[in-house]
Amino acid sequence: MNTTLLAGIAALLLPVIGLAGEYSLTVDRVKIDTGDFVKTGIGYNGKSPGPVLRFREGEEVSINVTNNLDEMTSIHWHGLILPFDQDGVPGISFPGIRPGETFTYRFPIQQAGTYWFHSHSGFQEPDGAYGAIVIEPEGREPFRYDREYVVQLTDKHPHSGDRIMRNLKMIPDYYNRQQQTVGEFFSDVSENGLMNTVRDRIAWGDMRMMKADVEDLQGFTGLINGKGPEQNWTGLFEPGERIRLRFINSSAMTYFDIRIPGLDMTVVQADGNNVQPVNVDEFRIGVAETYDVIVRPRQARAYTIFAESMGRSGYARATLAPEEGLEADVPQLREPARLTMADMGGMPGMDHGSMAGMDHGSMDMSGTDGMSGMGDPSMKGMDHSGMAGMDHSNMQEMDHSGMAGMDHDSMEMPKGGASDPFYAKGSGLVPVAANGGKFLSYADLKAQNPLYEDREPTREIELRLTGNMERYIWSINGVKYEDADPIRLQYGERVRFKFVNETMMTHPMHLHGMWSILEVGAGQWNPIKHTVSVQPGTTVYMETEVDEPGQWAFHCHLSYHAAAGMFRKVIVEGGPESAQAKAKAGATTEEGGDA
Amino acid sequence: MSASKFLVAAAAISMSATAFAAGAHGEGHGSGRSGHGGGHGAATGEPGKASEASRTITVEMHDNYYEPDSIEVKPGETVRFVVQNKGNLVHEFNIGTPAMHEAHQKEMMMMVEHGIIQGGTLNRDMMEMDMGNGKAMKHNDPNSVLLEPGQSREVVWKFSDKGDIEFACNVPGHYQAGMYGEVDFD
Repeated sequence: MNTTLLAGIAALLLPVIGLAGEYSLTVDRVKIDTGDFVKTGIGYNGKSPGPVLRFREGEEVSINVTNNLDEMTSIHWHGLILPFDQDGVPGISFPGIRPGETFTYRFPIQQAGTYWFHSHSGFQEPDGAYGAIVIEPEGREPFRYDREYVVQLTDKHPHSGDRIMRNLKMIPDYYNRQQQTVGEFFSDVSENGLMNTVRDRIAWGDMRMMKADVEDLQGFTGLINGKGPEQNWTGLFEPGERIRLRFINSSAMTYFDIRIPGLDMTVVQADGNNVQPVNVDEFRIGVAETYDVIVRPRQARAYTIFAESMGRSGYARATLAPEEGLEADVPQLREPARLTMADMGGMPGMDHGSMAGMDHGSMDMSGTDGMSGMGDPSMKGMDHSGMAGMDHSNMQEMDHSGMAGMDHDSMEMPKGGASDPFYAKGSGLVPVAANGGKFLSYADLKAQNPLYEDREPTREIELRLTGNMERYIWSINGVKYEDADPIRLQYGERVRFKFVNETMMTHPMHLHGMWSILEVGAGQWNPIKHTVSVQPGTTVYMETEVDEPGQWAFHCHLSYHAAAGMFRKVIVEGGPESAQAKAKAGATTEEGGDA
Repeated sequence: MSASKFLVAAAAISMSATAFAAGAHGEGHGSGRSGHGGGHGAATGEPGKASEASRTITVEMHDNYYEPDSIEVKPGETVRFVVQNKGNLVHEFNIGTPAMHEAHQKEMMMMVEHGIIQGGTLNRDMMEMDMGNGKAMKHNDPNSVLLEPGQSREVVWKFSDKGDIEFACNVPGHYQAGMYGEVDFD
């Protein structure tokens, strides 16, 4: 009775006092051992990855960050909704944290779910400065589980971030080992005929891109919770338990295709927000995204968590097992995906002279199988205007005589006619589940409990994702960050962003501070995310309720793309006066411009 | 809906009607679509009479869980369930064994694929449509109800003496996410 009464009093006081938590992080030089190589890097509290920060929704947190490096640092709380001056982007939210300094972040926790944190200074994040955030909700969750694990992935490279950037700037394909070989040329010749193969290569050469440019940073070791494939991070379970796996992709550059052979996965959260559960066999996690899945291993045996990089140049591996030391088979890497002409569909600079040599099979034929996705309501969100750059009127000039010998059966088509409305039709990148089952698509993501009322956007802003691979420049609307004006939004408006990917790489676009409502054709059930992947040759829409004042970063989350200029500052004008005053103050103390 | 779209839709439905018939309902259903209750009566029990119900249990369905999420019954007891959907999504209350639920999930997947279940909407008129073989996705088994948000219905069930029984929502993903409750026998 007494304890009940006390608890009752405590509960009454809670809303007044609020929950307050104090946390401390040190930023340190650390040793990172991947099993393949050992290097020094940057970590938190002496380790990379840093600790899992566990918050509660409704809590006011104070986080003391002490910089033990001999250079500036910062921490960005990826996906958290907070005052902009706590967002941790040097030059936009605050000046940064000087060597030896302790900076205290203070903000209310207004959400729940799986997120992460990382440095937003230089290449400290690829060098190891990242960790996980888990926020317990105030109420009960719309799903149940018996235990949970963070599964945080990264693509650890033996070179430092600075060195990688230098190399990419000098030789953009420095780290692209999967370039097509002379041998491959001759095997293509035997399959496709000499003229088609030559024309195909000429077309790709014109675009200053390699067909194998799915990943421009190879040679990494995939880590899960800091462990390489041989070190095999292991999560324990009792057969029959439901396990919540909180997948976080903290890679600099690498998308992963994740499966657990022998287990169905039920996706319940994307980017920290609950989604209507989807049963899948495999899913692709973009850089900076998170997905929470529930699995239920019933047998007392080991299961492999297998994460193949999208370009199949590497993998991460971990194990779920009833006891330490057990292992299951580790699958072989599948054949690397090859971009097709469809993946270049959005490129306006295409030279029509070389169009005659284009592999039309990979553009048109895919439609036949790819059409299966057309009935999907999510197609509404698709826009083929990206194709507008291809002037079909010029097609008449095509030399059809050369096409007579085309063997239509040998054209590049995604195997099994896989289609996904978020990939270009006929794209070589469309993911296919290893077991032939269900592969998660953005089109499957529907909000469990929509945060915002659905309403018409007040205006549309087009952002073309652009690049010049030859000089390793990545940009938006052809302008790189240092030459660009900020994007100005008005507090209270709802903006529709139209991403048109005119490059041949996938870009995970991350808007800080405000949610990205991804257009999947589900109306009020469209999911909210913090990172939206835009595939080559596609147009993707997202809407943002401009409900946070101040100034924010908006960029491609591939580390070297952001640093090369695919980055914008967003200024929210209007809103609460105090925030405006802070924004002005922040602008005057600006220093550094780190991505 | 344009004529060509309608044809595609009709083709899709008739195609899967075949798959539907060949699905989980292949065995043990003397009474056709009257379903799980009859076919697996020995394991779970049988439809009960309201007049014989010893008590009423109200089960609230939320997104995506039940309250309560476990109940106790006596062997052979008849219980009147008042099932209320308090969530924003379509949910099911279905009494069965884990194996029955797993089989039923395949049927529910088809109901989603055919647009019968769309988030918070249940297109009941589509459930009445003849699939071309005298069967429809009526979802009218006496051991279950399928409800839109705000709806409430009763299920009267006479439990068997014992068994591995759960009440569960087999809308795709919901069971896996944990929307099930245990039936414990006293």
